[in-house]
Order: sequence, then C-alpha cells, then structure tokens
Amino acid sequence: MTDTAMKDAWYPVGLCSDLSADGRKTRLMGEPITVKTGPVGAPEVLNADNEPLPVIIRFGHVWTSLGAPQTDLFTIPEADQPSRKLVDVGVVRVKCSPLRAVENFLDIAHFPFVHTDILGAEPHTEVEDYKVEIRDEEDEVWATKVKFFQPQAAKSAEGGITTEYMYRVPAPTCSVLYKTCPPRPGEWDVICLFVQPLTEDLCDVWPWMALYDEDNTMTELIHFQQMIFLQDRSILENQIPTRLPLDPGMEMPTRADMTSVAYRRWLKRHNYTYGAQLVAK
Amino acid sequence: MTHTLSLPWTPVALSSDVPPGTVIPAKLSSGPIAVWRTQSGHLSANGDRCPHRGMRLSHGFVRGETLSCIYHGWRFADDGSCTHIPAHPNLTPPSAIKCNPRQAKESGGVIWVADELPDEEPVFFEGYKPLRSLVVAADETSVREATQATDVDSGLAVNHAGTDIRLLVSDLDGEQVFVILLLAENTSPEACVSASRWAEVMRQKAERICNHGETT
Ligand code: FES
Ligand SMILES: [Fe+2]
Repeated sequence: MTDTAMKDAWYPVGLCSDLSADGRKTRLMGEPITVKTGPVGAPEVLNADNEPLPVIIRFGHVWTSLGAPQTDLFTIPEADQPSRKLVDVGVVRVKCSPLRAVENFLDIAHFPFVHTDILGAEPHTEVEDYKVEIRDEEDEVWATKVKFFQPQAAKSAEGGITTEYMYRVPAPTCSVLYKTCPPRPGEWDVICLFVQPLTEDLCDVWPWMALYDEDNTMTELIHFQQMIFLQDRSILENQIPTRLPLDPGMEMPTRADMTSVAYRRWLKRHNYTYGAQLVAK
Repeated sequence: MTHTLSLPWTPVALSSDVPPGTVIPAKLSSGPIAVWRTQSGHLSANGDRCPHRGMRLSHGFVRGETLSCIYHGWRFADDGSCTHIPAHPNLTPPSAIKCNPRQAKESGGVIWVADELPDEEPVFFEGYKPLRSLVVAADETSVREATQATDVDSGLAVNHAGTDIRLLVSDLDGEQVFVILLLAENTSPEACVSASRWAEVMRQKAERICNHGETT
C-alpha cells in the first residue's frame, strides 16, 4: 500500500479550545474518528472501534495519526516567542485534495489575481527568482528569499510594501509561512496551514497564526484570514484533475513554481501519495 | 435513434449567452469546454482546463482578444497559444504551451462547437430564431416521449397551440441534456411566452418519465 507513509504522519483534527466530553465526530483519511475530552480531562482521539489513537497537543490544535508515527510533530520555535498573538482561525472545508490545498498555500504568483488588491495587484505580477531546497537533515522543503509586492500585506500593513517570505513544508499536509512583520522589522509573522485529509478529495483546513499585532482584535484577524482562504477555496474546488499530479507532463511549471516542483518531488520521494494522482494509478 | 447527439457539431449555447468580453462553461461529449468571445466579437472555444495548474478557464475573464486564467493570469489567444505569463512578464511563452482549442461556429443564433473541424456546416433552420435554452435532467428518449416531437433535419419538431417549435438536443453528462428552442421568425410575442411556458412543462414531464423509468 502506497498510503502507509502518510498514515504514519501527524494530522490536525480539531481545536483544543473546542473540545467537549461528547466529542466531535470527524474523519481522517477515510476513517471515522472522534475527538473529545477524555475521562481525566485530557484530549482523546478514538477510532471507529473506540480504540485510542496517539495524541499531541500543539499550536492550539489536537493532532493524531492512524499509524505509528516515527517522529515527533514538528515545532515552530518562533511561535513560542512571548507577546505574539496566537490566532485559532477555525476550520474551512474544501472539496479538494489535501495536497492541492498545501500547494496553493506555497504559491505567490496567484496573489494579484485571486487576492486582488489585498495580497497582490497588477501590474506588480513578476515573481523574482528565489531559493528552494529540500533540507535533508530536517527532511523539510524550504523556499527562502521570496519577495513580492503587496498592496495590503497584512491587517497591520498600511499601503503597499515589498514583503519577504519564507515557506516551509515540515509534514505532507502542513505548511508554515514566515512573512516580514510590518510593526517589527527584523521579526517574522508566522502563518500556518494545517490540513486534515478527510478523503483524497476532501479536506478540512485549519489556518493558524502567531503574529506581532497590537492594532487588531482577534475577530478582525480571524476574519481577514478567513476571507483570504475563501478566495483560495474558489480556485481549489475547480482544478482538474482534483488530485495533485506528481508525475511531470500533466501540468506546466515555470520558475515561479519552484516551490511547488520541490514539494511534489519531496512527496513522491516519500511515497506521500494520499491525494495525489500518479500516472501508474 | 438519436439525432442531435450524433451530429459533428454540438449546439452548446445561444449566441446571446456569450456577449463580447465574456466566457461561459459548456460541455462536449469529449469533456468540459470554455466558450468565449473577444472584445471585438470573435468567438472561440477550448478545453476547460488551464495547462499551467489545471484551473477551469471558464472561471477566467476575457481581456481584449485573449482569455485570462483566474488563477495566475496566463493569457491565451483564440488558437490556444499562450501569449502572456504575468509571473514572468518579459518571457515569451514557449509555443508548447497550449490550451486545447476547439472549433466554434455560429449559425442562426446558435453556438456550435466541435473537437476537430467537421466537413459539414452546422445545421441551419431557415426562417427560425432561437428563443431560449434549458437544461433537462433526463435523457433524449424521455424528452422525445414528453414532447411527442417528430424528427426533422437533425432536430425535433413540435406544434404547440399552433406554434411551430424546433428543438436541438445535446447530451451534457449522461444525466442531463441541453435543449435549445427555436421558433419561426415571425412568431408573435404572446406565442413566444406560451412556447417558453410549454418548455418548462415539457422539462418537468421529461424528468418525471426519466425518473420513473429508473425506479420501475
Ligand atoms: S492555473 Fe491557469 S494560470 Fe495558473
Ligand atoms: Fe491564496
């Protein structure tokens, strides 16, 4: 089975702030699961046979796995810095492959067209060369020195600026974005996309942020991020094929797509194929 | 025997459904397509999939004489070639990038599309003009039964309350058909309204027949 590799990975399945003793019924890679507060008050995830699955509490979310994870869930040291606002954005359900959702998050070239006048605007459409690597030691995909003009880079940004980004893929359905932080030059805002694969063509997306922001309320920040993600959803539900093609030929990348190319290569190398389309299939 | 279904040209929309500067989704038996008209009025059709990252081109928008994909703004000319990649504005797009052009033609106010250029011209009903189109959740057999129509040159003919009606029927996805209603050019406005109502009744009847056929 090619899906074993992904079975052993960690996935977000709910917000810690949302737990109840009754529990929430959801799915993970096609399997029904229940996420709840257990008898002693600790979060618990149960499979269809009521057997407990492994649990990690991190980044405001409950994480679990259907397999036997060989590694700990990744960490984000920056998110632990004091005085950051930790924002649980909540969940957005998208009819798309979990891998397509991550790939879209890694993409900047769509900003002027999909997030018009917010994250990008014509004529500032050029994507300058940036650096992409698969870091062997951490086993993560990284894109650095990514620069793009943004008319309104974040809730706390007034007017247009050239924003710098770093993208990181530490798990098959998770991505962390580091983005220059207007109120604190030299620091990075942290914006994450954690994706729960319900099936190969359906996912629950849990955006999460750790920001330096004193001007906006939690509600404003949540609304801003939700609006951005709903714009992405209208794209994600209309790509053909629904699953992410891992073999070349089906789609046509350019230099601006180097992160996507590396992500696909990394997925293929690890047999992370749940939500992928392979020629052999 | 199916008629319209096996034509070399498929009727996909009314000319008036696609004004200059717009794009709409449609279907051929070979798959979904985007039908669009340039600012200057030229009609085009192509596979509804952007070669870059698979986004549906019918969600895009027309810019001048090109169709622009909504995802990253790649632009395509009516021959399917890519003319502009916004992420690399100074790059001349490689000629290998193509968005599967189809053949599109207009005749008698109807838009016809084909995968390859057929030898024959699309059907033309002399003296008729299109009234409206509708999607019916039934197969062609049920539509024939519901309308009691007879076959005439690649279409169906019905007489409703003294009004001559021609129908063009094409398959959408095996579960729905696309129907275009044509009336004689000199049909009175009242008769047009009445024919349009008849079409709604016909739709419901065809859907009932089709459902029934399935459950019994
Ligand atoms: S998918 Fe069409 S331009 Fe990228
Ligand atoms: Fe986006």
